[in-house]
Amino acid sequence: MLKIEHLKKNYDAFSLDCSLEIMQGRVTGLIGQNGSGKSTTFKAILGLITSDGGTVRILGKDIQAFKTEDKQDLGIVLSDSGFSGYLTINDMIPILDNLYKAFDKPFFMEQIQRFGLPRNKKTKDFSTGMKAKLKILIAISHNAKLLILDEPTAGLDVIARDELLEMLRDFMEKDEERSILISSHISSDLETLCDDLYMIHEGKIIMHEDTDVLLSDYALLKVDQKQYADIDKQYILRYKKESYGYSCLTNQKQYYIENHPQIAIEKGTIDEVITMMIRGVEL
Amino acid sequence: MKGLLIKDFKLMKAQKHFYLLIVAIAVGMAVFTEVSSFIIGYMAFIGSLFTLSTISYDEFDNGNAFIFSLPINRKCYVKEKYGFGLIVGGSSWLLGTIIVLGAGLTRDHNLILDTLMTALMVLPAMLMILAFMLPFQLKFGGEKSRIGIMGALGLMFIIGVLIVKIAKSFSFDLVSMLNNLSTMSIGMLNMGAIVIAVVALLLSYKISVSIMNKKEF
Repeated sequence: MLKIEHLKKNYDAFSLDCSLEIMQGRVTGLIGQNGSGKSTTFKAILGLITSDGGTVRILGKDIQAFKTEDKQDLGIVLSDSGFSGYLTINDMIPILDNLYKAFDKPFFMEQIQRFGLPRNKKTKDFSTGMKAKLKILIAISHNAKLLILDEPTAGLDVIARDELLEMLRDFMEKDEERSILISSHISSDLETLCDDLYMIHEGKIIMHEDTDVLLSDYALLKVDQKQYADIDKQYILRYKKESYGYSCLTNQKQYYIENHPQIAIEKGTIDEVITMMIRGVEL
Repeated sequence: MKGLLIKDFKLMKAQKHFYLLIVAIAVGMAVFTEVSSFIIGYMAFIGSLFTLSTISYDEFDNGNAFIFSLPINRKCYVKEKYGFGLIVGGSSWLLGTIIVLGAGLTRDHNLILDTLMTALMVLPAMLMILAFMLPFQLKFGGEKSRIGIMGALGLMFIIGVLIVKIAKSFSFDLVSMLNNLSTMSIGMLNMGAIVIAVVALLLSYKISVSIMNKKEF
């Protein structure tokens, strides 16, 4: 669906070099801190900025050959951009109807009603949650094949986040050929939704793993100085000095459970894995 | 493109009170004064300015990034802005002419031909303003382009005065020559001006497309 190879973009204090792939029927997450390069990657995919190198293939076409017509198959949410806040939902309906050939007006109206979004209010006066839901609804209402969602859950409370993720699950269930690329700096959003995750840091992908594997096989080993000296380090990805000794990130939890039963092993959450990948030292 | 046009008309709806006020002022002037060229020019000018304000709306809160991720391209966006400017400017020009005609007829003056001539003279000015302002607005955005436009208008005024002065120093009175032109020659001159304005608009469109193609959002 989408394949990026060494996509490069250089700014004064930041340079991006990103490779990732989104397979058909899968939800792929891109996690990274603020300023790690998520939005730059998204903007380059969408042709909003010119890249300084690398290739992007989207829905089987090179980005240069990806025409206006092909954008009909994309559903987009950008974190810091959307329709003018001076428009109401009622204003947007004919706009979308004329922009997207496959705009599903009955579905859109039904969802607007379901979420209780006011149709005659300027969207600049909407709450953060309402704005976020509307953005997603716009992205999923024209039978898109690929959703590209940049921080769609930013600033939302837990309930609103859940509703939003539910909308995305429903979208995926309707057609198994659909795919989603979603970014967030809140890992718990992506944990339950994504099939695989990419981690981006300072413009580079530092990790790619299936979410299941990440949650089942990654762990943090909490060891003292002596244990650290004795431990088999072949499956340690990163380590970090702590007050009690060391904390070590592994992607072979079972191996350490079986071979080092005396050490404390904690199931790694995605946040912990990210922190270790960024702050930890590589062996 | 139709979607974008609808968007801009919907955005203009937010300024409908302002527009109605402009129409009311124009009607007031038409009833109480006889400055027909000013009224038509005023309506056409304000009308064509709406396309600039829709560009500001698009830029506000980084809205352009989302607009250009929709199934449109940059050329289509520019085309729509010129189209919108022509539609709203043209309709306002027409409305201004109708207002002047309406007020003139109620005063029982036979002003139809004069008013139509005036209206035709305003038309190339409106096209030139669009041709001039749109690339400025697209390149520099709302704030900076205002300064640029003021500077450029000032420059045009100075050039105009200089041309008249220089002509005068060669004992060639441009102003009185224009005043003494027959209706026929004025018509020809006007047609020429319209042709030049249309060419300028096409050139301006090309420049705007290349400005937009270079932009990053």
